[in-house]
Amino acid sequence: MKKKVLATLLATAMTVGCLTGCGDGAAEEPAAEAPAAEAPAAEEPAADDAAAEEAPAVEAPATAEEGTDPVANLIAATTGTVTLKVWASEEDQDLTTKLLDDFKAAYPDVTFDITLGAESESTAKDTVLTDVEAAADVYAFADDQINDLVNAGALQEVVANYTFDVVNENATGAVEAAAVDGKVYAYPMTADNGYFMFYDSSVFSESDVQSLEKMIEVADAAGKKIAMDISNGWYIYAFFQGAGLELTLNDDGLTNTCTWNAAGGTDVAQAILDLTASNVLVDMNDEDMATQIAEGNVAACVNGTWRAETAAEAWGDNYAATKLPTFKAGGKDCQMSSYSGYKLVGVNPHSANVGWAMLLAEFLTNESAQTARFEARDLGPSNLNAAGSDAVQANPAIAALAEQAAYATPQRVGGNFWSPAETLGQILASGNPDGTDLQELLDTTVEGITAPVE
Amino acid sequence: MKKTINAILRHLVLLLLAVVWLIPILWLFVTSFSGYKGINTSHFFPETWTLDNYAQLFLRSDSIVQYNRWFVNTLVIAVFTCLISTILVLMVSYTMSKLRFPGRKSLMSFSIILNMFPGVLSMIAIYFILKTFNLTNSHIGMIIVYSAGAGLGFLICKGFMDTISVSLSEAARLEGASEAKIFWKIIIPLSKPIIVYTVISSFLVPWGDFVFAKLMLNSGIATDWTVAIGLFNMLGKSMIAKYFSVFCAGGVVISVPISILFLIMQKFYVEGITGGSVKG
Amino acid sequence: MKKALNAIGNYFKNIGIAFVKGDVWVKLSAILMGAGYFARKQVINGIIMFLVEALFVVLCVGYAAPNLAKFGTLGTVQFEQVFDPLTMTSTVNDYDNSFLILLNSIIALFLIVVFIMFWIANMKAVYRLQVRKENGEHINTFKEDVQSLFNEKFHITLLTLPAIGIILMNILPILVLVAVAFTNYDQQHMPPNSLFTWVGWSNFKSLFTDSVTVTFGYSFRKVLTWTLEWAVLATFTTYIGGILLAKFINNKKTKMPKMWRTLFIIAIAVPQFVTLLLVRNFFADSGIVNTFCTNIGLTDFLKNVGLVPANLSYIPFLTNPGWAKVMIVIINIWVGIPYQMLIATGVLMNIPEDQIESARIDGANPFQIFVKITMPYMLFVTGPSLITDFVKNINNFNVIYLLTQDVYVTSDQLLANSNAKEIDLLVTWLFRLTNEYYNYKMASVIGIIVFIICAAFTLITFTRTIKGDKEEEFQ
Repeated sequence: MKKKVLATLLATAMTVGCLTGCGDGAAEEPAAEAPAAEAPAAEEPAADDAAAEEAPAVEAPATAEEGTDPVANLIAATTGTVTLKVWASEEDQDLTTKLLDDFKAAYPDVTFDITLGAESESTAKDTVLTDVEAAADVYAFADDQINDLVNAGALQEVVANYTFDVVNENATGAVEAAAVDGKVYAYPMTADNGYFMFYDSSVFSESDVQSLEKMIEVADAAGKKIAMDISNGWYIYAFFQGAGLELTLNDDGLTNTCTWNAAGGTDVAQAILDLTASNVLVDMNDEDMATQIAEGNVAACVNGTWRAETAAEAWGDNYAATKLPTFKAGGKDCQMSSYSGYKLVGVNPHSANVGWAMLLAEFLTNESAQTARFEARDLGPSNLNAAGSDAVQANPAIAALAEQAAYATPQRVGGNFWSPAETLGQILASGNPDGTDLQELLDTTVEGITAPVE
Repeated sequence: MKKTINAILRHLVLLLLAVVWLIPILWLFVTSFSGYKGINTSHFFPETWTLDNYAQLFLRSDSIVQYNRWFVNTLVIAVFTCLISTILVLMVSYTMSKLRFPGRKSLMSFSIILNMFPGVLSMIAIYFILKTFNLTNSHIGMIIVYSAGAGLGFLICKGFMDTISVSLSEAARLEGASEAKIFWKIIIPLSKPIIVYTVISSFLVPWGDFVFAKLMLNSGIATDWTVAIGLFNMLGKSMIAKYFSVFCAGGVVISVPISILFLIMQKFYVEGITGGSVKG
Repeated sequence: MKKALNAIGNYFKNIGIAFVKGDVWVKLSAILMGAGYFARKQVINGIIMFLVEALFVVLCVGYAAPNLAKFGTLGTVQFEQVFDPLTMTSTVNDYDNSFLILLNSIIALFLIVVFIMFWIANMKAVYRLQVRKENGEHINTFKEDVQSLFNEKFHITLLTLPAIGIILMNILPILVLVAVAFTNYDQQHMPPNSLFTWVGWSNFKSLFTDSVTVTFGYSFRKVLTWTLEWAVLATFTTYIGGILLAKFINNKKTKMPKMWRTLFIIAIAVPQFVTLLLVRNFFADSGIVNTFCTNIGLTDFLKNVGLVPANLSYIPFLTNPGWAKVMIVIINIWVGIPYQMLIATGVLMNIPEDQIESARIDGANPFQIFVKITMPYMLFVTGPSLITDFVKNINNFNVIYLLTQDVYVTSDQLLANSNAKEIDLLVTWLFRLTNEYYNYKMASVIGIIVFIICAAFTLITFTRTIKGDKEEEFQ
C-alpha cells in the first residue's frame, strides 16, 4: 500500500515536472528530489529549518512571481477523483455541507468525492488517535488537543498557504494556539472556545458581577445558583492562575511545571472551599448546566459560547455576559484567569490527497467561511477581518470573551494535568470531606501533575 | 379476616415492586412524547405532549439522526449475525455433545476459559486484524465481529443436546446413516427450542452493543451507524440538551420488537441456563 | 500432570519411530510432504499435501520472513513525511509500523506452529500408510477419505469453521495482548508515527509499584478489591432476590402470577444501554429524582443525618464514592433480578413436591423448608450458572461504564494519578486506559490479570461439570 502511494506520488511528481518543465527550474526539483525521499529519514527541506527559527512562520501565499502556481500544478496533476473525508461537529453539519459545495464549485475542473462525518471538536482527538490512518483527511478540533495530535503525527504542518495568509489574517492568539514549537500545524477556525461568565441581568447588576463574593451574596438572596464545573482541570485553572500560580508545559512537550502548591496555593484552595461552602456556587458539569439554566435554577454560570443559545433562550432580554469576576484569596482580590480557547481545522498527514486537504482546510477557515459560521451559529471568528465586523462586535458572548482575553492564557499543558486537577476540584467542591491538610492536598496534586512521562 | 389482609398486603408489595421496576421505563415512554427536547428535571410527565420526536426520527433525517438507516443497518447485521452464529454454535455443540474423539474434554475446558475472556480487552487487536482485511467501517466487518467467535458460546446449547437420548442416533447409526446425516435428520429437528433461543439471543447482540460498533464504524458518517451508536451519540455532551427526548423515542421504538423477541426467548432461556435439567 | 507429560513424550516419540523405521518415501516426506502419499498411490492426497507445503513456503518468504526479521526490534525506521509546497504533494518513506509488525509476526508464528503440527501429523500418517501397506491392509481411496470426514472424522469437519473464527477473533487478539504487555506501547510510542519496542517485565513491575507518581500498585489493589466485592455483591443480591421474587410470585396465594412476571420482564426487555443511560440521567445531580427528594425534604434530612455532605444541595447518587457504589449495586439489582427470577421460576416448578410435602408434615416452617430443601436444590441446578454470573460480573462493563462515564470524578488523588476511579472495575479501568489515555501497555497487563482471575474461577467450577458424569446422565 505504502509503496503504491509512493509510486503514484513519484509518477505525479514526474508528470508535473514535465508539464511545467520550462519554468525556472524550481518545478523540476520535486521530480529530481522525489526518489531521494525513498531513503529512510529523508532530510527536511532546508526552508523548514529557517522557518522554525522565527515564531509561527509560514510561507506566504505563493504568487505568480515565484514562477509556478502550486494550485495550478495540483489541478494539472490531478487526474482521477479526489476522495476526501471531512469531520465537523454535529452542530456544524449544515454549514459545512454548504461550504463543501462551494469548495467543489470553486474547482470546477476537478471531480471530488467528499464525505462529511460528524465528530465533535471536543472528542476529535479520541477518535483520531485510535487510528490515525483511518481518521478524516480534514477535521476540526479544539486547541487543547493540538499537542497530543502533533505528538501522534496526526497533523500536517502548515508549511505554505495558497489562498490566504493564515498567520497574518488570523488573531495572533489563534495562530499561537495552532502552533507547536513555532511551527503552525492547523488552521484557526473560531476564537471563541474559552470561557467567561454568563448571567441573568435581572438578578445581577453590572457591578455585582465584578466579584464572585458579591455575586454569591446576591444570588443567595434571590434563591438562585451560580454554576461552574469546578471538578474539571480546565475550569479550576481559573482560580490558581488568577492568584498568580503557574502551570506550564515543559520544553519536552509532555510534562508540566506546576507551582500550585507554592506560597499562596493553600489560600486559593481555602477560597474555593469557602466559595462552594456557601452552597450558592455549585460544581456542575456542562450538560447539567444546560438543563438548570433552562429550568431557571441557575442565574449565572462560567461557561463558553456553546451555551450562549441556552442562556439567551432562558433569560431573554436579561441575557448578559462578561469577563470572569474576582475572588478573594488570602485577603486580596484576584481576577479569575481562564484558558483562551480556539477551534482549529487540521489536515491529516496520512491523507492520500494532502494538497487538496490543505486547500479545503483553508477554504473552511477563510474569512467568508468564518463570517458564515458566525452568522449561522454565533461563533466568534478568529479571522481579524471577520471578527472586526459590527455584528460580531455586538455579540454579548463574544464581547465578554474579548474582555476576558486580557486575563486568558493559551492552553499549553501535558496530559498528566487533567486527572489530578479534576480530582482536586472534586475534593474542594465537595468540601474536603476527609479533612486533608490543604498543603498536603496540593502537594499530592502537583506531584501528579508534574509526574514524569516515560 | 387475617387471610384477606395478608392477601391484600401481598399484592400491595408486588404492586410496589412492579412500580419501582417500571418507573424508569414509564419515564422513557412519557419523555418520548415530550415537547421539550432536553431533560425535564422538575416534572416527571412532560408539560407539552407531542409526536414530534417520532416524526424527527422517521421523517426528518439529518446528518446526525438517520434512524431509518440505523434500523436497516442493524437489522441486516443482526440477521446475518444470527444466521452465522447459530450455525457455528450448533456445529460446536453437536460435536461436543454427541461425538467422542480424543482431546474432547480438554478442548471444552479450553474453550470455556477462552470464552471468559472479555471482549473489550482484545478490541484494539481485533480492530487492526480486521483493518488488514479492509473490513473496518463495513457492515461485513461488524457481522464478523459479532459472529466469528460465536462457536465458543456452545455451553447452553450443548447442555440441551446432552438431554437428547442417545438411543435415537444409535438406531440411525445401525441403519447405516452417516454422522452428518444423524446431525441433520435427527439432532437438529429435536433441538428446535434451543435453536430458537440461539437465534434470538444472537439476533439481539447488535442491537445492544455500542463499544465494538463505535470502534469499528469510526468514519463519523451517520448513515453507517447502528441504532446503538446513534442513540448513544445523542446523549453526548453537545447533543443531550437538544436530543434527549428524541433518544427516548428511539429507545421506545427499538424496545418494541426486542421486547417481543425477548418474551419469546425467555422460555428457552430457562431451559438452556439450567443445562437442560429443567423441562419448562 | 504426569499424564500430560507422557502424552507429549509419546507425541514426539512417534515421529522418531516414523523417522527410524520409515522407508525412503516416508523420509522423503519430511522434505516433500506429498511423497509418502504418491508412493502409496494416493495421488490426490499427495497433491494436496504438496500444495499445502508450497503455500506455506510462499507465505514464509512473502509474509512471515519480512515481519519476523523485524520482530526482535519491532521496527527501526521512523515515519517521515515530506511535503512539497510547490507540487502540494507529500512523500512518505517506507516506515515501520511496530504494531503491524507485532500483529503480523504473531500471525506468522501461529501459522508456523500450525504447520509444524501439520507436518508431524503428516509424517505419522505417511508412516501409518507404510505399515498398512506392509501388513497388506486396505488403503483408503480419496473418496473414502472424504467420506470419513462425514463419519468417524466428522468432528474435524464440524469444528474447522468455528475454530477459524475463534482463532481470528479470540486467540490471535489474546496473543497480541499478551505480547503488548511486554512492550512500551503507549501514547508516547504510538504507531504509525512512532515506534515501540520490547521492555521485558517492566510494566508488570509498575503494576506492583507504589510511589506518588506511579500509583498503579495502589490503584490496582483498590480496583481489584472493589471488583471482587462488586462481583460477590452483584451476584448474590440478584440471585437471592430473584429466588425470593420468584417464590413470592409463584405462591398459590398470588393472583395472576403470569401478569406480575411479565411486568418485571418488561423492564429488562428494553436494551440495557438505553435503560442504563436513562437511569443515569434519572439519578443525575440535578436530575428528576433529586428534584423530588429536595421537594419532599429528603435531601435536607439526609444532610442532617450526615449522609450527604453539608455543602451539597443534592444527593450525590452517582458522584460520591459511597453513594455511587451503593447505587450501582442497587441499579444492578434492578437490572438483574428479573433474569434470576425467570430462571428461579423454571427451577422451582420442578422441585419434587413430595419432599416439601413430607417436610411440612414433619412440622417444618416455610423458612426451614426454604433453607433445607429449596436452596440446596436451586444451588444444585443453577450452581454452574452462578459461577458464570460471577465471572460475568467481574467483567460487567456496561453497568459501571454507562452509569458513571463522564459523570463520576474520583476524589482519591492517588487513584487519579493512574487514571482510575473508586467505582472502576478492572475492565472499565482498562477500557479507559486504552480509550482515553492510549496506555496500551498497562491495559494489556491488567487484561492478562483479569484473564487469569476469570480463568481460575472458571476452571474450579467447570472441571467438575465437564469431568463429572453429569453429561452422560441422560444418554
